[in-house]
Amino acid sequence: MAAAVLSTVRAPMGDSGDVALAAAGDRQAFERLYRTHSSRVFTLCARMSGSRSRGEELTQDVFVRTWEKLPQFRGESAFSTWLHRLAVNVVLNARKTEGKHSARTEQSDVEDERRDEMSRAPLHIERMDLQAAISKLPAGARRIFVLHDVEGYKHEEIAEMMGITSGGSKAQLHRARLLLREALQR
Amino acid sequence: MTNSTMTCEEFDAALPDHLEGTLDGSLRSAVEGHLRECVRCASLVKDLRNIEADAAKLPELAPSRDLWQGIESRIAAPVIPLAARPERTRRFAPAWMGIAAAALIVTTAGITYTLTARSLSGSKASVATVTPAAMNQPNTGDSSAPQSVAAGTVVAKTDEPAPASPTTGPNRGIGEPQNRSTALMVTRTAPSEQTVPSEAVYSKEIAALQHIVNDRKTQLDSATLAIIERNLRIIDLAIEQSKAALAKDPASRLLSDQLTHALDKKVELLRTAAMLPANT
Repeated sequence: MAAAVLSTVRAPMGDSGDVALAAAGDRQAFERLYRTHSSRVFTLCARMSGSRSRGEELTQDVFVRTWEKLPQFRGESAFSTWLHRLAVNVVLNARKTEGKHSARTEQSDVEDERRDEMSRAPLHIERMDLQAAISKLPAGARRIFVLHDVEGYKHEEIAEMMGITSGGSKAQLHRARLLLREALQR
Repeated sequence: MTNSTMTCEEFDAALPDHLEGTLDGSLRSAVEGHLRECVRCASLVKDLRNIEADAAKLPELAPSRDLWQGIESRIAAPVIPLAARPERTRRFAPAWMGIAAAALIVTTAGITYTLTARSLSGSKASVATVTPAAMNQPNTGDSSAPQSVAAGTVVAKTDEPAPASPTTGPNRGIGEPQNRSTALMVTRTAPSEQTVPSEAVYSKEIAALQHIVNDRKTQLDSATLAIIERNLRIIDLAIEQSKAALAKDPASRLLSDQLTHALDKKVELLRTAAMLPANT
């Protein structure tokens, strides 16, 4: 819960100048914004997608989208908060687009994750770390777990972003936690 | 385990709301009472609370490479913010689209004409080659008869090249020696005549379409554009590999088909991208 708030607090003081410059087309200012926020955006993208390589692609998409949308940023919230929300939307929309174009199913998603480098934990390990266990979750449960327990979003916010009910979000979160417990105890 | 007020099954059902802290008074008391007595459920709650706490403390991750170059190359094209787009540009947008559409139609018509003319002349040559061999076998009118299938297939496939392997694809029925040799005659002569010039035509259309797509990059949704570019890279790789293989075996109809197929796919994808409405 505290993570989203922390991200705002952690935002450097110099953002507003660079945001204004970047919105006017200054690429150097935008690069500074990228350097400041890229780790946090990448972390979100990698955790939500369950894949470091996909996280890198999505991070690039997020910053390209940010560049396009910056002129519309009105400063009503901190830039880091706005960027974070935009990143979540890019990840969720990317998933929808992929689903539309390739008719991927949750099952195929899980299979992809199994192949992914983040999921290549040796089968014989006794305990798995939380990061690896999260990447092994089914896509829907993983996204909700990351948004709620890692990033600090509320069920109502998640429901709105994902187009589900808050009850559905609660159910998926509980399922994710139980699956994680099982994986961590193995 | 069961205690006087609540079973473990009932506890499990109430657990999500208990963790959220949204249980009402009487149910909350029952859950808390159950937790005091049941080791299994108390352990479960403790683990889930730990997972929640650990998740909030997970460290940031770092990408394996600097992603800025990729971002910079994608934002290098000038972006016209939708909100700030001048009215004048909007007024001329339909005319621009019309010109683009007309250019597409002219280019496509030219290619269609060229390919059709080429394939028609190719068909005549192939039919002339095939006919004597086909005449060696009586046409029984039985569609399952190997010879009639073979002859029909070879003539038909002069417009659409047949696979090299006789054991796969539409030529599976070819079994008679004379028909096989006929098929080989066709497959050995056609590629060198067709692929090289048609490749030039493809290159022309691809360049024209690519130009349109490049001009429209700023109007397309970045996610869509990323998918298009990723697919183009895959197709380009297929084209390169087909060309390399074809250079080693210029007579292979299969490789020629692969190349044509890949070029077709590229044209199709670029054409789709060129005609996408803005911001999709």
